[in-house]
Amino acid sequence: MTRVKRGNVAIKRRKKILRLAKGYRGSHSKLFRIANQQVMKALKYAYTGRKLKKRNFRSLWIIRINAALRQKKLKYNSFISMLKKQNIGLNRKVISQLAVIDNETFDWLIEKVKK
Amino acid sequence: MDKMNNTYFPDNKYYEAQPTWYLIDAKNKNVGRIATAIARILIGKNKSSYTPYINTKNHVIITNSKYVIMSSGDEKIYFRNSRRPGGLKKESFNQLKLRLPNRIIEHAVKGMLPKNRLGRILFNNLKVYSGDYHPHSAQTPIEYKLDKIK
Repeated sequence: MTRVKRGNVAIKRRKKILRLAKGYRGSHSKLFRIANQQVMKALKYAYTGRKLKKRNFRSLWIIRINAALRQKKLKYNSFISMLKKQNIGLNRKVISQLAVIDNETFDWLIEKVKK
Repeated sequence: MDKMNNTYFPDNKYYEAQPTWYLIDAKNKNVGRIATAIARILIGKNKSSYTPYINTKNHVIITNSKYVIMSSGDEKIYFRNSRRPGGLKKESFNQLKLRLPNRIIEHAVKGMLPKNRLGRILFNNLKVYSGDYHPHSAQTPIEYKLDKIK
């Protein structure tokens, strides 16, 4: 076997992780062995966070739609069933944004759905 | 165009300039039933710009809290403990209504608000009075009707 020097392979691997650990407190952003653990945790939280984000936003939209509907004496559950029956494909994000930003279009939507 | 694409989030101080005051009469109403409505208003779920981490500055005034009703009035017990041995004190709904009527509604609503920093702040937006009089006429409270939507 020819002689092999390890070169900068290990440094590059560790620097990659330390770059992700920028801004962490104390030795969590300076020392590789500690930073490695924190980066692993951070990546795990980012993974689950991406999935939670979708759930949380949908729940927020539903609460907002319900609030806007109840001011007009309607309920979210009956409204959604009426939407489905009339084959209106608007998603909850758009409807909640209408309720907050564009009141006239929201009222028009309610009238259209009630028929 | 971007306004519709990005979910609207109001400023932290959005509601500071426009607090809304609601007035609810508790005469001959069931405790739990008004408490759920009150908690919902305090949290801000009656406004379409609801945001879970912002105090929506919905204030609720309750009048006539000493006429509030519970169907199992003598069987409902309120406990408190002074943390000393043998310090458990019990009081029935009817007894507490004579002694401190405001506490009944406050206790019920507090249990229905979220148990975190914001929830504790929201509780301060609830004002309960045992009689007809309330000192908040300067805030021009809106009468809130507790109708069920069919």
